[in-house]
Amino acid sequence: MNRPIRIALTKGRLEEKSVSMFEQLGYDCSSVRNKGRKLILPIPEANLEVVLAKAADVATYVENGVCDLGILGKDTILEMGGTFYEVADLGFGRCRFALAVPQGMDFYAGYHTRCIASKYVNVTKSVFERKNMDVKIVKIEGSVELAPILGLSDAIVDIVETGTTLRENGLMVAEYLTEVSARLIVNIASLKLHKAEIEPLINQIEAFINREGKRDGACKS
Amino acid sequence: MRNYDKITPDGTRDLLFDECTRRQELVERLTTQFANRGYHQIRTPALEFYDVFGSAAAHFPQESMYKLSDTQGRLMVLRPDCTIPIARLASTRLSGMSLPLRLYYCQHVYRVQHTMRGKPSEIYQTGVELIGAGNQRSDLEILELAATALAQIGDGFRIELCHIGYFKALIDSLKADESTKETIRQYIEQKNYAALTDLLDQFGESCPARALKYLPRLFGGEEVFERAYRLFDENGAHESLDNLHTLYSYLCQLGLKEKVLIDLGMVNQAEYYTGILFRGYFDGIGEPVLSGGRYDHLLEDFGQPLSATGFGIYVDSAVSLLSERPLKSPQILVFSEDDCLPQAVQQVRQFISQGMVVENCVFSTQEEAIQYAKKRGIQQLCHVSQQGIVLIEIPTDGRDN
Repeated sequence: MNRPIRIALTKGRLEEKSVSMFEQLGYDCSSVRNKGRKLILPIPEANLEVVLAKAADVATYVENGVCDLGILGKDTILEMGGTFYEVADLGFGRCRFALAVPQGMDFYAGYHTRCIASKYVNVTKSVFERKNMDVKIVKIEGSVELAPILGLSDAIVDIVETGTTLRENGLMVAEYLTEVSARLIVNIASLKLHKAEIEPLINQIEAFINREGKRDGACKS
Repeated sequence: MRNYDKITPDGTRDLLFDECTRRQELVERLTTQFANRGYHQIRTPALEFYDVFGSAAAHFPQESMYKLSDTQGRLMVLRPDCTIPIARLASTRLSGMSLPLRLYYCQHVYRVQHTMRGKPSEIYQTGVELIGAGNQRSDLEILELAATALAQIGDGFRIELCHIGYFKALIDSLKADESTKETIRQYIEQKNYAALTDLLDQFGESCPARALKYLPRLFGGEEVFERAYRLFDENGAHESLDNLHTLYSYLCQLGLKEKVLIDLGMVNQAEYYTGILFRGYFDGIGEPVLSGGRYDHLLEDFGQPLSATGFGIYVDSAVSLLSERPLKSPQILVFSEDDCLPQAVQQVRQFISQGMVVENCVFSTQEEAIQYAKKRGIQQLCHVSQQGIVLIEIPTDGRDN
């Protein structure tokens, strides 16, 4: 038998949806459900192997070809860049990048150089490059909402699903930027060298997305 | 102040022992193939003026180049590529030579990489350029040579082959502005089916829009041609396909059918390439090991409108496929008494002339010499004294190095 096709899934927010997608496609994901401490989880009858990793690592593993496919948020793709095929928008994990400011504040009033806090420094940089604005960008790893509250920054750039967290912290969306959702990515060489195995899988997933899309109607956010 | 005196810069490394030998042996195997087909070696400086890479056709992003300035304040770069300096050379010093020029190179290129991605910034490349020939004969020559070069690296290679003319026919037929066209190109390159479909939906059911949507899926074997012919036939699309199909059938006749894939959605560097383009892959390496194609407009930038084609090989990616070999011990250690040093050197010369690998012992007692030989796994000691030479077998105790 050929070596198994290895797929990297993002732990956390997208994990449940990704695994249930594979289950609905008819794959037996019991090893993924009961993973314990194992890091590589086989789906032997489909000759697949699942790896669970942080989103940024999914991109790294796929770019370097140690995983053939990966599922991760578009937010991470935009932040990290990288060379791989982005073959499908999976439709789940939908949210938006937003510029958020303390409630009632006009972000564009005045002329001082703005300070923006974000976990997504590259995304933030390109947003303000497009606006031809020079801003100071500060990288924050945890709850970005703290930065304007503590007085470190004028605004934040972050992904927003419902906006509840923002409101609870006295912030509001000043501007929605791009939409993001879970994507299926494929290593460039893998798609060419393992077309026979990978292409049917992509087609299966695409068909699934189309069915789901029809059932759900427009996107929920 | 911090001293960076014990580490090498990001993206660079020291090559040790067999790493050097494996690279050198592979490069020799590859360049022998080049030389056997009439290609001649050239070497260009690692430092070039920024302007060489600053032209429109060269279009190297400035953030990917290492820059310095010379004593007159002129901007220089560490060459990020081998083909562009060769285009400069072909348009200047080599411009009087009879065509075509067949050139090969093996040298480093330098590219600023994202930090912490594990990508080297000092990259060793070998490759060929065939300059001054624009026909299918030269395309075939280069493709066959690429396949032969890949076969020197290993069996499990694949070549993917594209003709950029098909994409250009499609995109030129689409009524859209330049930036939309560039976005479409990027989506096709990334095989971003979803975003591509969304973007092209605004063009309705127009023929080029429909074909562009399908373009990233146009990869595979022989069957790709039939679909591509049916999909679009204006603006020279069929000429490009004819050209590609002929080359593909030549390669099949050369027994490469299993090795060659067609991917009409390979639209990277669409500005640079003008005809066929191709990449070589191996299983286990996530990125191309070989990359090349036809670039008929590059030399125009340097004032010589000449057709050209060629490819480059990422040697160190290729070397990583070859297994590491243990360090070899010399076959014999020559030890001499204090009063016989010249005789010992004579003896070393003699063993070498017999085809052996010999080491000269720098220790002054026989006991130290034997201990050293044991440690290094050298199985014979040649003892040189006024009484003549004595060969001593060294028992190995299993310990190496």
